[in-house]
Amino acid sequence: MSDDVLAVPFRQRAGSAMKDAFLQEALTIATTKFIGLRREAFEDFPEGETLRNRARAIKEATLQRLDHHLETLIGNVERLGGHVHYAATSEEARSIIVDIARRTGARMAVKSKSMATEEIHLNEALERAGITPVETDLGEYIIQLAHERPSHIIAPAIHKTKAQVAALFGRELKRPVEADPEVLTRIARGELREKFLQADLGITGANFAVADTGTVVLVTNEGNGRMVTSLPRVHVAVMGVEKVVPSLTDLMVFLAILAKSATGQKLSVYTSLVGGPRRPGELEGPEEFHLVLLDGGRIAQLGGPLREALSCLRCGACLNVCPVYRQIGGHAYGHTYPGPIGILLTAMLEGAPAVKDLAHASTLCGACAEACPVRIDIPRMLIELRREVDDTKIAPWAERVAFKLLARLLRHPGLYRLAARAGRVLQRPFATEGTVSRLPFFFDEWTRTRDLPAVAARTFQERWASEKDLRP
Amino acid sequence: MTTKAEFLERIRDQMRTTPGLFPASAARRPEHPAAEAETIRRELVERWPETLKTFRLEFERVGGVFHRVASLDAVPAVVGLLAHEREARELVTWHSAALGADLSQALEACGLAVHQMPAGEVVGTERERLRAIAARADLGLTGVDLAIAETGTLVLVSGAGRPRSTSLLPACHIAVFDRTALVESLRQVGVILEAWHEAGAPATGAAINFITGPSRTADIELTLTRGVHGPKEVHAIFVEQDIRG
Repeated sequence: MSDDVLAVPFRQRAGSAMKDAFLQEALTIATTKFIGLRREAFEDFPEGETLRNRARAIKEATLQRLDHHLETLIGNVERLGGHVHYAATSEEARSIIVDIARRTGARMAVKSKSMATEEIHLNEALERAGITPVETDLGEYIIQLAHERPSHIIAPAIHKTKAQVAALFGRELKRPVEADPEVLTRIARGELREKFLQADLGITGANFAVADTGTVVLVTNEGNGRMVTSLPRVHVAVMGVEKVVPSLTDLMVFLAILAKSATGQKLSVYTSLVGGPRRPGELEGPEEFHLVLLDGGRIAQLGGPLREALSCLRCGACLNVCPVYRQIGGHAYGHTYPGPIGILLTAMLEGAPAVKDLAHASTLCGACAEACPVRIDIPRMLIELRREVDDTKIAPWAERVAFKLLARLLRHPGLYRLAARAGRVLQRPFATEGTVSRLPFFFDEWTRTRDLPAVAARTFQERWASEKDLRP
Repeated sequence: MTTKAEFLERIRDQMRTTPGLFPASAARRPEHPAAEAETIRRELVERWPETLKTFRLEFERVGGVFHRVASLDAVPAVVGLLAHEREARELVTWHSAALGADLSQALEACGLAVHQMPAGEVVGTERERLRAIAARADLGLTGVDLAIAETGTLVLVSGAGRPRSTSLLPACHIAVFDRTALVESLRQVGVILEAWHEAGAPATGAAINFITGPSRTADIELTLTRGVHGPKEVHAIFVEQDIRG
């Protein structure tokens, strides 16, 4: 995300999101709808729970032999006539893709929705190289016209009203446009159809890549994934190394739960298994196929504390159920991946210091872990991240001092009793009806968004001591 | 630039630091996929009426339109009616060898301009010419390699005479299938895909597409809208008599 967004502190970004009445309504409607659809899909699918366990086991098993599965994948992609590239960093990935575009003389690139290309900030790099990137997922197209970033992994433009979309399209087409989703979709179909037919380069992510067959798998509802992999003469797929699955049998396990978790569909409309460039006798399909394998911080987590997050399917289910995401939406997180899993992925890709505030943007209620199709224990890793953030002393000094003092108090019963008595006196000006809703000085950071229970007139320890004669 | 060796070595370095989170193995691949796929097909011969019923239910649930005819000869009339209702003029179709029969004459008799896609390699500007035809056609007629009852999905393998665009560019996709394409579940599809991988797919193209209803989006205020990039309509015509005799 651009630096100007991150220049505003997280608390302020979240605060503005909570004051945005439309955003609040849109978030509630969208996330509530997704939660309901997901629940219904799994209620109708009794084997779902078993498949979730199997899916997780496949991910873990794949990571345990990741080198082997990647070598198999690489071998098969090359056998099919494709080229494989290795990107340690976002920068390397960008330059690989820009080089391919330059070498093949590409002027325009059509893209299907891909979080990996968002992550590496590919569009800016293409533009700088004189290549026009066109996002073709309707939601992504809208936010590209608005010069924004996706606010949800699977519904990137849920923060936009149809009137805002109509205004964007009107500006692009230089004529007034009716604010009707049907009309707007028809316009996008026409505009983007031209681009699909003109573009030299198709860029996609990969939901999965099957090692056994060298197949890249793309899941879309709109059909743009099929367009992008069929019409341009060059196809580049960018994928994180963790997206490999061993076999087609494994793939079917994931397909059976992915769409149900994301949108409640049994399957998304289009699932495309693409194996390299077009074959003899085929009318369509690219002449060249390139697979870019992306590290970007993933590999270091194979043996790191965020390993579990490498199983993520990018379905967005944890965003919808998260009480924090539902209040602040995706943009407030400030990075490519929002929501509970987004905090972990941001720490993975950019390092723990990048999430010193975000690590606390969770209630640790566990709803995310429950919704996750592969049962990633997100709260556990968030707690570990908080500890790491504290250990490396990137938490504010006042917070660190306060918690150190508290730790000492809790270890010493005498000090604790003394503090309780002192607290009872000191709280008098602030306590009303058993709660403290505003503390003085910088302590107001704590009470700004929550109440503190007041110290009781008689503490439990005092009552315990005085009533011991009454006990049997 | 990072090389393959460096990249894989970095992964191995990390793998050496941990045995993993828990003992786990990938899904069990069928040992003899072709034989298992054959067993599935044999079992389905008995159950196809129920499988077809489920397919129809699920296919309609995702917005598909189901038709049923006695034999291939009856297909052009169904297509002709759809064309008439939509004021459609041009139709692209898979090659007759891929479709299982040559319906061109009968379709032309319904007043359609029929463009049959070639079964062999094309050269020069012919590729662009054919693509332009697919892009302006109103209807696309294809066969089906698998029809999945569990999800209402049509699976189409690309290849010679089976362009990907026929089921993608026209606003209305019409797919013709018989009971040999029917399967019950995604699990069975897994076995069949493994069998195709081992012993050869129905065609040798690079793409296998799963199509579950018409193209859709809900990206503007979560309003469900059909036909954003792919077809607005998908019709499946079930032919009672086996297409390939």
